[in-house]
Amino acid sequence: MHWIALQPLPDATGPQDDDGAALVDALAALGWWALQFTPKVAQVEGAVLMEVSASERLFGGRKPLIDKIFRENKPVALFHYARAATSLIAIARLQLSQSAPRKPDELPLTTLLAARSHLPTLTRIGCTTWGQLRALPRGGLVRRFGAGLVDALDRAYGAKPELYPWLELPAVFEAKLELTARIDNAPALMFGARRLLAQLHVWLQARQRGILALELGWELDARRQDAPQGQLVVRTAEPTLDMAHVQRLLAENLARVTLHAPALYLHLRSLETAALPGTTTSLLPDDVRVGDSLHHLLERLSARLGADHVLRVVPFADHRPERMQVWQSASRTASVFSTNSIAAHAYSDRVGGQKDTSKQPKSDARSDALYPTWLLTQPLKLTVRNNAPQCAEGGPLTLLAGPQRVEAGWWGVSEKDGACALRDYFLARSEQMGLLWLYQERLGGQGRAEGHNSSGADWYLHGLFA
Amino acid sequence: MPSVWRANELARPVDAVVATGHAALDAQLPAGGWPVGALVEVLQSKNNLNEWRLLLPALARCSGPVLLVGAPHQPFGPGLAAQGLDPQRLLCVTAQTTAQRLWACEQALRCSDVTAVLAWLPQVRPEQLRRLQMAASTHGKLLFVMRPLAAREESSPAALRVLVSGQENVQVNGQDRLALHILKRRGPPLEQPLSLPARAARLAALLAVTRRQGAAPPNISAKDGDEELHEASHHAVVARITPFPDHGHALDRTAAAA
Repeated sequence: MHWIALQPLPDATGPQDDDGAALVDALAALGWWALQFTPKVAQVEGAVLMEVSASERLFGGRKPLIDKIFRENKPVALFHYARAATSLIAIARLQLSQSAPRKPDELPLTTLLAARSHLPTLTRIGCTTWGQLRALPRGGLVRRFGAGLVDALDRAYGAKPELYPWLELPAVFEAKLELTARIDNAPALMFGARRLLAQLHVWLQARQRGILALELGWELDARRQDAPQGQLVVRTAEPTLDMAHVQRLLAENLARVTLHAPALYLHLRSLETAALPGTTTSLLPDDVRVGDSLHHLLERLSARLGADHVLRVVPFADHRPERMQVWQSASRTASVFSTNSIAAHAYSDRVGGQKDTSKQPKSDARSDALYPTWLLTQPLKLTVRNNAPQCAEGGPLTLLAGPQRVEAGWWGVSEKDGACALRDYFLARSEQMGLLWLYQERLGGQGRAEGHNSSGADWYLHGLFA
Repeated sequence: MPSVWRANELARPVDAVVATGHAALDAQLPAGGWPVGALVEVLQSKNNLNEWRLLLPALARCSGPVLLVGAPHQPFGPGLAAQGLDPQRLLCVTAQTTAQRLWACEQALRCSDVTAVLAWLPQVRPEQLRRLQMAASTHGKLLFVMRPLAAREESSPAALRVLVSGQENVQVNGQDRLALHILKRRGPPLEQPLSLPARAARLAALLAVTRRQGAAPPNISAKDGDEELHEASHHAVVARITPFPDHGHALDRTAAAA
C-alpha cells in the first residue's frame, strides 16, 4: 500500500489555464485528475487521497509514477502533499507538513480524526502521541472511548484494510456556482461561466471526451420575476476540448440575452459528449497550421449572424432551377465538404450525363453551358412592350438563344414539392446588364385552374451571367 | 544586372500567385496571377456584374472552401459547375451591415482552411480595407473585394485594383468582350484597357453558332456536322436544345383546354 495525500491551495487557480479562471470546486477537479493514475481516489477532510501501489507496474515502478504525479500539470496548484504506507499517516503528515516526525508512533494525537473528540481526556491522562495511545490496553480503550478509536488505530497501522467511498467520475457534468454579486446584464455572466468551463475542461480531460452540447442556466432573483430561470444551449459540430472556442460561442449567444432580474446562480451541464479522436502532429515546423479550423469559423459566424445566414449549397435533382440546389445551414453539418452523399451523386450523374466516372470536368453534358452563374432569389417580372420583354432599366433585350423548355412540378401536392413550373428559358443580351437568363411562363404559369392569359405570357428575369 | 529592379518593370514575385486563367491578364500582373495574401479590388457597375468571369478560373484552380460574404444574388451551382468550380466549396454568408460583413471577412481570413474570400462591400472606408489587407497578408489568403464604380476616385490600400466593364468595347468579331482597366498594380500604370472574352468558351461558341444562324429568337440546334463550330471550340460541346413547337404538344393542348 502506498498512499498519497494531496491538498489544494485554499484559493486554487489553474496554473496551466490560459486565462487563469479559477475552478468552482478545486477538490473535485484534483480528484478527477488523480483518477488517471488509480481508481482508488477519495476525498477526506479537504484533501484528496490516492492509493497507487496497484498502478506501479503500469507506470514503470514507484519512482517514475511518483515523479509523474508530482511533475505533471495539475488542474489546481498544490498546497501540500504527503506520502505514507497508510492513508491516516499520510493525512497526519499532510497536516504537519514539514515538521512531521518519521515514525508513526511519534505523530501527535491531534492528527488522528477519530481521537479528536476524546482529545481533552487523553491529554489529561498524559497520552499525546499515537504510540502512547497504542500502548494502552485495547479492552479498556474500547470500553472507555468506543470501538471507533481502536478501529482507526488499527487502520492507521495497517492492521485493518482501509475503505473509503471511492470517487467516481460523474457520467454527466453538472456544476453550480453562486455568483458573488448580483448580475444584471447577461454578458457579465461570462465571468462566472468561465469558472464553470474551467471545471468542465478538467472533467472532459479526465473522461477523454469532447463536448458536443452544453447548457448554461441561470437562476434569477425570484422576488422580481415569474419565470426565475433561463438557459442557453450551445452546440458544436465536432467534439471539442477547446474551451476558448466554447467561451466565444457562449459570449456571442449571451450578448443577445436580456435578463429581467438580477441573476444569483449559474449552472453548467453537459448535454452531449463524444470520444475525442487522437490528433496527429507533424514533425516539420512548416506543417503547423495557423488559425482556426473551418467548423470553428462556421460556428462563430452562425452564432453572431444567425444559423440561416451562413449557408452552404447542397445539389438537388430537379429540373426547376430554383430547386436544383438547397441551401443549408453550414454549421449544422459536421463534414462540410463530403461529396459522398446520395444527393451529390445524383447531381453529378445528372450534370455529367450517364455514367461519367472519370474525374474530368463534368460539364461535357447537354445544356449546362446555358446556365447562369447568379440566380435571382425571386424572379423579377419584366415589363413587356410590343410583345417583347424590356429589362428593368428600359433598355431593349435581344434574345440570343432558346427556348429551353422546363416543365416540372405538375405533380406537386404539398408545399415541399414546390410550385408547378411551365417555362421557356431564353438567353438575352442587354446593353446595360450584359447577358441575362429570362423565362416566359406558358399557359399562365400554373397551367391549370387559372385559365390562361390571352395577351401573351409573363416574362421574368431569373439569372445573370456574371 | 539581374538584381536591380527598374521602375518600369513589374514588381518581382513576392508572394505566391494564382493564375487568372486569362493569358492577357496574367501578362500584365506582377508574377503572373492574382496575388495570394493581398487585397484585390474589383470595381464594377452594380447592374453589370462580371465577377465570376474574372475570378472563377482562378478559384477553380485552387482547392478548399471559398467564402462569399454579402453576395448580391444566389450563386447558381450548376452554372458554376459547368465552368469548373465545385459549388460545394462555396459558403455563403449573408449579412446586411458593412460592419458584419467586415467582421465575417476577417474571421474567415483567420481560418486556416479557407482558401479565398470574396466580399461585396458597397460602402467601406479605406481604413477598414486596410484592416482586411493586413489580415489577408498575415494569413496568406486570396481576398477579392467587389466595389462600385464610384470607388474609383477613392484611395485604397489594395495591392491590385481592376475596373471591369462590359459596356465599352462591346463586340469584337461578333463576340462580347470585357474591358479591364488595371487602376493600380505593383508596377507602372497600364494605360490601355485589356480586352478579355466576356463569356466562357463553351457559351461563347454556342452564341456564335446562334448568331451565325441569324434570326431572332433562334432555336439552338447545332448540327453535329457543323464544321465551323468545331473550329470555333475544340473542347466545347454545344448543347442541343430541341425546341418543342409551341402548338405541337398534345399535353399542352389538354392543359389549355382544362
